[in-house]
Amino acid sequence: MKELMIKNLHVSIEGKEILKGVDLIVRENEVHALMGPNGNGKSTLLAAVMGHPKYTVTEGTIEYDGQDVLALPVDARSRLGLFLGMQYPQEIPGVTNSDFLKAAINARREKPISLFEFVRGMQKNIKQLELRDDIAHRFLNEGFSGGEKKRNEILQMMMLKPSLAMLDEIDSGLDVDALRIVADTVNRTQKETGMSLIVVSHYERFLEFVNPQYTHILVDGRIVAEGGPELAARIDTEGYDWIYREYNVLPAAAEDEKKRPDLNIRLG
Amino acid sequence: MMDLINSSRKIVVPAGYSEYTVDADGEIDLQLECSRDSEIFLKILRAPKLNLTTESCGGSSIACLVWNESETTTEFHELHNVRRDTRLHIAYGEIVKGDTLRHTKIDLLEPGAEALMSSATLAAARKEFHASVASRAPHTNGDMKNYAVILEGGRFVMDAAGIIERGAHVSESHQTSRALCFDDTVYASIVPALLIDDNDVKASHAASVGRVDEDQLYYLQSRGLDINECMRLISTGYLMPITDTINEERLKETLKKELEEKIAALC
Repeated sequence: MKELMIKNLHVSIEGKEILKGVDLIVRENEVHALMGPNGNGKSTLLAAVMGHPKYTVTEGTIEYDGQDVLALPVDARSRLGLFLGMQYPQEIPGVTNSDFLKAAINARREKPISLFEFVRGMQKNIKQLELRDDIAHRFLNEGFSGGEKKRNEILQMMMLKPSLAMLDEIDSGLDVDALRIVADTVNRTQKETGMSLIVVSHYERFLEFVNPQYTHILVDGRIVAEGGPELAARIDTEGYDWIYREYNVLPAAAEDEKKRPDLNIRLG
Repeated sequence: MMDLINSSRKIVVPAGYSEYTVDADGEIDLQLECSRDSEIFLKILRAPKLNLTTESCGGSSIACLVWNESETTTEFHELHNVRRDTRLHIAYGEIVKGDTLRHTKIDLLEPGAEALMSSATLAAARKEFHASVASRAPHTNGDMKNYAVILEGGRFVMDAAGIIERGAHVSESHQTSRALCFDDTVYASIVPALLIDDNDVKASHAASVGRVDEDQLYYLQSRGLDINECMRLISTGYLMPITDTINEERLKETLKKELEEKIAALC
């Protein structure tokens, strides 16, 4: 039984602590929604599990399938079955989508995938995601529209068949039709493969599709509230204010810090 | 047609596609007289010192790919004379472990002469490149496009000079050189120069030396690719555009295939 176990996780970026002790358990075939106001640690949590070099784990543990995830380099975490659908996928000029995906698939196989099997899988998934056929031969994410990038993340997920997929605002930048296609595909893939899912999303519509059994609310680097689908539904209608009152917490003041400080100096 | 060269030779290159292989254990001179439109694939197996000259008659189009496969040190001294209304494209594939020192001089001698010099280098050894493309007559165009990936243990030096002499009016000189480093310990230097002695010209240069983008690397690794596989993919993507500068399909296919194989072997 593959299980993700996060204990007392503290994560800093450039010396600033973002996560201040997170505990989370995700078992096989479970779907979890991770919610919370912007700038309070949702993306940081997913990036720390994947191993982004800019995020430093200062305390705590992450285990998956009995392995110490923090001891593994990024690529080994992927081969262990972890997948992160990113909010801002990188553009890699010169590397075609299909060359990249073939290499990524072969990295987790002993014998390279046959061209026939690869092309067939690719075509099927491209069709399901209603992407244009030439997506396979274009350079990785280069010149893709916002919606194409997100769908291309899901295409990678389908091809790589992770046992735990984390989707970081995979629904942002999608129009209504694309949202339905992506959500439907994620839902179907989850049902078919039994993979675990952690979904970060602000949209009730997307969450309705993927139907998470568990909801976690992350405020100022801590999970302050947990529940079932009813919690996600309440946040959709009421927002986070009641959470702050009921649990006596304040959101991280991410936006305020970006404001230009008042200058008291005047030129005479 | 395939021809093995192991001593000094003067060859009249026929029209169409020709292949030559150099396998010499000492210094040799190789003169290529390109009389008509021709495509040349020049493969270097061994050449401690090769003095290469090409000559062309007017009104022709010549593409020459110098593909270095030597595992030992090679030294090239090259002079390419380009005549009236002739277009020369000379391309270098340096995806090999041996050290290379190359001096290339391209002279645009008569009106309407054009030259493009392009190179793709994967440096895991010393690669030193001194190149000049000189407009010595009016209405001539010179262009250089150099792309290099520097791996651990590599050293890359590129001096590229675009020259326009006085009186060579309405001429153009352009160059782009880029080096991508995968390691902190490597050395890469690009010195672009434009030596312009006429007023009515167009000239430009672009050069960059930089490390591979950390976020790009993370993205590729997050899909299970180890660092060598990432290097292979990024290097292939970085060096492959060199093949776009070759119009001749046969040469292009050869270069693509060889490039992929050699990069895979070195990464």
